[in-house]
Amino acid sequence: MTQIKVDQTVDTSGKCCPMPMVETNAAINAMQTGQVLEIIATDPAIKWDLPSWCERTGNAMLDQTEASGTLRYYIRKGGADG
Amino acid sequence: MQSMAIIVRDDSYDKILTPLSFAYLQAAEGTQVDMLFVNWAVRALTEEGARALRVDGRHADQDPWVRRQVEKAGLPPEIYDIIKAIKSTGNATLYACSLAATIFDVDKDNLIPEAEAIVGASWFLHEKATQADHCQYF
Repeated sequence: MTQIKVDQTVDTSGKCCPMPMVETNAAINAMQTGQVLEIIATDPAIKWDLPSWCERTGNAMLDQTEASGTLRYYIRKGGADG
Repeated sequence: MQSMAIIVRDDSYDKILTPLSFAYLQAAEGTQVDMLFVNWAVRALTEEGARALRVDGRHADQDPWVRRQVEKAGLPPEIYDIIKAIKSTGNATLYACSLAATIFDVDKDNLIPEAEAIVGASWFLHEKATQADHCQYF
């Protein structure tokens, strides 16, 4: 994959719904438009939750990987000026 | 979704987890969440009542295990701490039903500070539930 510059990482490993999405929202709210958030998760529910959340909130999913049960998502924060 | 109303009736530890989790999810995303606690669940809006909640019925003997699992999932195991976390999003308002408060002995003196007020069901149903984009009952 193309190297993505990550501005912040939220590691939700071991946690289950609702915490990965709660922590993702908290992290993205504290970031600037255009910055990239890396989300690390082991709860497979995030495979459904995160794409839907990106579509609703206007944040862009840049990439995703899965290895040994660990999911990584790269989200660019959207916004009016982004 | 801009707003969601949730009416909570069931007060056992395990059954109240779902409405609280849904509220936490949506409030964290920026949805205005208004919750009305009715019947026995109104006691969850008192510190003593929240701490007294237990898994009941046929799963009662699994209470300690459920609490460990809740903590493992990343949530605080105490209901009062979950309520505090929901409030910390700044997008949730919790109300006690006035009838339930009267019956189950909840008043302004024992209501937790995270609760907004003791209100009439008519007000909540007309001003919150029917105005919300989505309404849920537990």
